[in-house]
Amino acid sequence: MSLSEASLPKGKDYRSSHTGHGAGKADTVFENGRIYTVNPAQEWAEAVAVKDGVFVAVGSRADMTPFIDEHTQVVDLKDRFIMPGLYDMHTHPDLTLAPGYAGYLDVGLEDPAPAQVKQSILDYAEANPNSEWIFGQYFVHFHFKREGIEADKNWLDSFISDRPVAVHDRSWGCILVNSKALERAGIDANTPDPRNGFIERDGITGEPTGILVDGAYSLIHAAMPPTPALALQRAYREGIQYQTSRGVVGTKYVHVCENRLDALKVVDDAGEMTLRVEAAISWQDDIFPVRRRWELLAGERHYYRSARLNANAVKFHFDGTHGSYSSYLSTPWPGQSEWRGGLNLTPEHIVDMVVDMDRRGIRVIAHCVGDGASDLFLDAVAEARKRNGPNGVRHQCAHSTVLLDENLPRFKELNVVAEFSPVGWLPEPYARAREVMGEERFDRMYNFKGVLDHGGLAVMGTDWPVSTINCWVGFEAMMTRKNPWFDNDETFHGHAITVEQAIRVMTINGAHCMGIEDSAGSIEVGKSADFIALDRNLFELELQGNVHNTQVDLTMMAGQVVWDRSGELSNTPLQAPLNPDNVTNFYDK
Amino acid sequence: MAAVPVTIVSGFLGAGKTTLLNRILNSDPSDKGKGLKVAVMVNDFGELNIDSQLVVSAEQNMISLENGCICCTVESDLIAQLRKLLQLREGRPDAILIETSGVSEPSKVVNTLRYPEFENHLTVDAVISVLDAEQFTGLEGSNKRLAMDQLSVADIVVINKVDLVSDEQLQNLKDNWLFPNACVYETTYGELPLALLLGQQAHRTVQDEHEDHSCDEHCQHQHDDFYSASWQSEQPLKIKALKSFFHNLPASVYRAKGFVRLSGAEQQMFLLHKVGSRLSIDRQLHWQGELNNQLVFIASAELDKTQLAADLAACTA
Repeated sequence: MSLSEASLPKGKDYRSSHTGHGAGKADTVFENGRIYTVNPAQEWAEAVAVKDGVFVAVGSRADMTPFIDEHTQVVDLKDRFIMPGLYDMHTHPDLTLAPGYAGYLDVGLEDPAPAQVKQSILDYAEANPNSEWIFGQYFVHFHFKREGIEADKNWLDSFISDRPVAVHDRSWGCILVNSKALERAGIDANTPDPRNGFIERDGITGEPTGILVDGAYSLIHAAMPPTPALALQRAYREGIQYQTSRGVVGTKYVHVCENRLDALKVVDDAGEMTLRVEAAISWQDDIFPVRRRWELLAGERHYYRSARLNANAVKFHFDGTHGSYSSYLSTPWPGQSEWRGGLNLTPEHIVDMVVDMDRRGIRVIAHCVGDGASDLFLDAVAEARKRNGPNGVRHQCAHSTVLLDENLPRFKELNVVAEFSPVGWLPEPYARAREVMGEERFDRMYNFKGVLDHGGLAVMGTDWPVSTINCWVGFEAMMTRKNPWFDNDETFHGHAITVEQAIRVMTINGAHCMGIEDSAGSIEVGKSADFIALDRNLFELELQGNVHNTQVDLTMMAGQVVWDRSGELSNTPLQAPLNPDNVTNFYDK
Repeated sequence: MAAVPVTIVSGFLGAGKTTLLNRILNSDPSDKGKGLKVAVMVNDFGELNIDSQLVVSAEQNMISLENGCICCTVESDLIAQLRKLLQLREGRPDAILIETSGVSEPSKVVNTLRYPEFENHLTVDAVISVLDAEQFTGLEGSNKRLAMDQLSVADIVVINKVDLVSDEQLQNLKDNWLFPNACVYETTYGELPLALLLGQQAHRTVQDEHEDHSCDEHCQHQHDDFYSASWQSEQPLKIKALKSFFHNLPASVYRAKGFVRLSGAEQQMFLLHKVGSRLSIDRQLHWQGELNNQLVFIASAELDKTQLAADLAACTA
């Protein structure tokens, strides 16, 4: 069965107030499970009945009997642990995968000599007469120096001058371009250097040499055609497939442009969107240009809307990162008298932007790594609530690496979700690098518990490629604060949360974060029939070392089994489109 | 304020960088007041052997020494640390020396120093790559990549511990790793003249010699195992000929610095900086002084100054 055949009813089966209500017997009954519902009114069940993609009964096996007739498919859950599907509220399959699928030049040698780089470029030019730009990787400075060749535009121009060429060096510290590429990008002796890099210039004439360092190569990226549509489609498709195999039923692709939305729509229209996606339009051009930003925000985003896809969110980069000491803190960085980090936008800009987006019904997802950045963001939301009224959109504070204690109650008060991302709350070098923030902030790092204890909503995001796309790693570590792979008791700063709390973070809180908590996120009558069947019971195991490698046997999304790990339903009408043979495993390989 | 010259020393663990750094940090402060205030940036104090008698103060990641030197750890962020050094109210260093660990790419450090933020405050004086003659054969994988990165930005290549390898091994290393026109210094215990490491030291020593002995500008001296010569003229130089002159200088000339006039742009002055195999010539935007060529050469072997002057004269228009 192809994905499109297996996809949800479309067109004629849409439901509204006066038509299409599911009535009568269930399509499917799942029995003999240990079902943890995340519904406080009925925590556990052993069976569920599903009709038209919605739970129509949740309870004991006997409760299902009235819903079963000869057309009902009855599935044995084999005493497995069942819970609602997971929500990964911040990730980037496009940024991780699309460049590799774009068909760019790849010299394909570990240690290419200049002549080999040249030959690769010429071969690529010949094989790709229609892609004007020749862009890719890589050359090795050392070999140019060994051979006494200057790696500059003159070298490239000597064999290719009619098409723009840009080749990264092996360590991605700079890019080598020819004269045509400089011309296309409008780079000449008068072009100012960007803040975080420079245009290498001839000391006498000031003319660019063709070497662009660090931030300067974004000048070339901006002039190049966008990432090819097929590469974006493949990246999203494979990302969705992998997430589905890990039990994710709702996710956010944080940072999109019109081309990315087009790619997501292609996947959705093909019936291959096996989870719900909220896409956040980039407010800044710092990752890729968004040429139709204002058309999208003004309403063009609705063109992409479906049951599975929406673009009613905007993402901005408020501060930097801890690694570069640019996250914005509430007090100076350790050892500094004044430096508090950097903000990419003024607080006034943020206030006006949040108020405006809130009024338009667009969720603001704010990258706030430092406790000073989230403080300002919450101030901006407070202003939006004051001006627009209290019932606006639920905004999202992304990363929240360190929060001020004073702000913990404000997440509930202002209806803002605290998102913890990336998977940095386990002891490992990446997380340890965050300790540069200074000891007094250690206990406030990744403070899930603080937000939850104050009645706020906390969610998680894998932030692939910053950390692994397998959300089970972070799921385990939020309950242990330990490294799943370490055989010791080293604990990361801050406080662990309970299994019950963590399951809510991964399920119903995600549904809240997507604004669908009334129709999804827990196993309840009337909600979307989403659940996952696991190979282990999260309430009956030693957490450390045993949650991160949980296997998801089945993923059901809106009544459709979309992932079947061992093919247990392969000869039934519930046959799943995805199985280990057709999903790329980005985690274990 | 003049830009602070920065020297970058790269090399694998055990190559002999620490010996070099200790030499600077423990240099005698009473040496006729010539001690430069050098800030040394390392990854870990543990690598160093600082004489505790010399320590004036120590806070978090910065140690101040009696001879004016500062030693600090880079931790994770070079940019923040450089900013901090430049903002010191007292004891702003005369020179900065950055030791890149055996695992980081010196090309990234060199690039960072050239960001617009540091353009008027820092200048890359020299990039020195220390190779352990014994260790350097049979490098593979990421170590090989790192070695290539170190050499691709190196102005001066120091081959240390040459006593531990055979002539054949040494020749192999050179054949496999060195580049044309490489400026190579061979040593046994990481004992390098400070003038090779620090441009400030080189030029200051040249000045001191002039003052102490009140000799004429063409005088040559042996000091700290190096020789110097200077040259002046008023005629503009032809750029191609000048570059060719520097290209053909003996490898023993490891530094040259000065200002030149170039034909075609006679009303401007250009800063010329040669260190090892690197030659840079940069236009000076706000030149106030006289329009004269002035060059100083520093070499590890005696210089034929007559030949030098004749060759340079041939570069004039």
